[in-house]
Amino acid sequence: MIGSKGAVRAGLAVAAIAVTALLHAQMDTASAAEQGRIRVPDPEKAQLLALGFEPVIADYYWIQAVQTVGGVESDPDRNAQVHELVELVTTLDPWVDHPYRFAALWLTGSVDEVRQANAILEKGIAYHPTDWRNRFYLGYNHFFYLEDNQRAADVLESALHFPEAPAYLGAFVTRLRAAADSLDTAAIFLQQLIRETEDEFERAEYLKAFDEIETERRARILDQARQAFRERHGRDIERPDELWAGPLRVIRVMPPAHPHFEGFAWEFAETGEIVSSFYGTRYRVHVHMQDERRRRKWREDEHAIPEEATQT
Amino acid sequence: MNVGCIAAIAANTVRESVRSKLLYGLVFFAVLLISAGAILSSLSYVEGHRILQDVGMGAVRFFGVAIAILVGINLIHREVDRRTVYTILSKPLSRGDFLLGKWAGLVVTLWIQVAIMGAAFVVVSLSTGAPLGASHAAFFVLTGFELALVVAVATLFSAFTTPVLAAFFTSGIWVVGHLTRDLRDIGASSGLPMVESTTWLLHRVLPDLESFNVASEAAHLLPLTTADWTLPMLYGTAYAVVVLMAAVAIFERRDLR
Repeated sequence: MIGSKGAVRAGLAVAAIAVTALLHAQMDTASAAEQGRIRVPDPEKAQLLALGFEPVIADYYWIQAVQTVGGVESDPDRNAQVHELVELVTTLDPWVDHPYRFAALWLTGSVDEVRQANAILEKGIAYHPTDWRNRFYLGYNHFFYLEDNQRAADVLESALHFPEAPAYLGAFVTRLRAAADSLDTAAIFLQQLIRETEDEFERAEYLKAFDEIETERRARILDQARQAFRERHGRDIERPDELWAGPLRVIRVMPPAHPHFEGFAWEFAETGEIVSSFYGTRYRVHVHMQDERRRRKWREDEHAIPEEATQT
Repeated sequence: MNVGCIAAIAANTVRESVRSKLLYGLVFFAVLLISAGAILSSLSYVEGHRILQDVGMGAVRFFGVAIAILVGINLIHREVDRRTVYTILSKPLSRGDFLLGKWAGLVVTLWIQVAIMGAAFVVVSLSTGAPLGASHAAFFVLTGFELALVVAVATLFSAFTTPVLAAFFTSGIWVVGHLTRDLRDIGASSGLPMVESTTWLLHRVLPDLESFNVASEAAHLLPLTTADWTLPMLYGTAYAVVVLMAAVAIFERRDLR
């Protein structure tokens, strides 16, 4: 039997629990990530105060970074927060692997963000020198966002011989070299790749690229001839063969449309460029239409920023 | 120094320590946290195994130090408080043997705790498929040596002061022991010769506890050279000897009335 004193105690306990639950229900219990107000400590201070628990603290802030990206989509400060979080994580535990590329994936909103991502990727390369992926992301950023093909080619070239580096990387670097410098540079680089590779499949791919460079060289001669035609006759050609056949020709013979195979001709591509019917496109780094649209918009947004703002 | 007496005191200290409810409580929470790492690791879509092991090793270090400080500070005080120290010291053993026996007993107790936490860590790692390597073994061995040094410091303070103050001082030494490298670097970059030499001296004199911390290397399975783990072991042993010599010297002069 419960006495009156016991009943009072039980009643008080139930009332206390009810009040606690009621008050808790009234409180704002959204996590810091949900509210977009995570306090990210200064990496150097955090390192000093971690007392040897750096990896655990880094893990905590890494989970916060994941939550931030998966949280408030329209938050304008999201990328800034992601940068702060990844900077902290990679300072506390620089041997982490994925956060470097995570930063590269998300920090693409502006030139400054891409540069921040690149700085993080360079730190990743310092701690994972034989991992091709950080170099790939860095090279890609230089190519796609910063449009620095020379630097992109240099970075990607350094990743070529690492384990698990994809076979297409060599051909990609060659195209970047061709865009950044000249076809001769690209051809020399390709010859070096052909000499160094022990993989027959890769060698065959490089030899194919070599043919493409040769075809591009001829296409460029035709471009020059087309320009000469325009200047001489005051109009553009209607068909490529106008350049070497007919009374208005500007060159004597048609260069072959492929170095080894016959039966291919020069034609206009949809873009209006003269292309070999064997390839259908010119030799360059091809960017998908969707990506190109995205890049153009990104570039326009960048240029829309007032000059004073970019200077500060 | 009578090794037989030291061993007897140490055996009794282990027997006494394993009866401590506080110890079981701390080990229970450590094992709980090691297991909880599995839940925490699922919050990240990548590198879950590393997070699991980071949390596990962090728990081992945190609870190991907590046990070392909380149990270590009472080593002498309890014996004096209960007056059992008079009975023990009336036997043919020196005060130094008594102190060393207490220290050795607590170190063995701590190593048993670390082994239990290590076993839990291995079980959780194996059950989740997280990789284990030689650097994990180095982590547990070096943590054991760090704790032995922390117990030596706790023994030193408990030889002449109250448990509260001993806990305060030992915690302070543990914190500073993990900061000495940073202090040295800050001093070096200050550009002031006085600050530079002071922080350098502090780094040399205070225990460099960061040298025992290879948790990050273990979690990333980074290779460790023989020197990476043997030198800290030798350093820890030598430092503990110095601290214990000081503790014995103080305890021998202490008035136990």
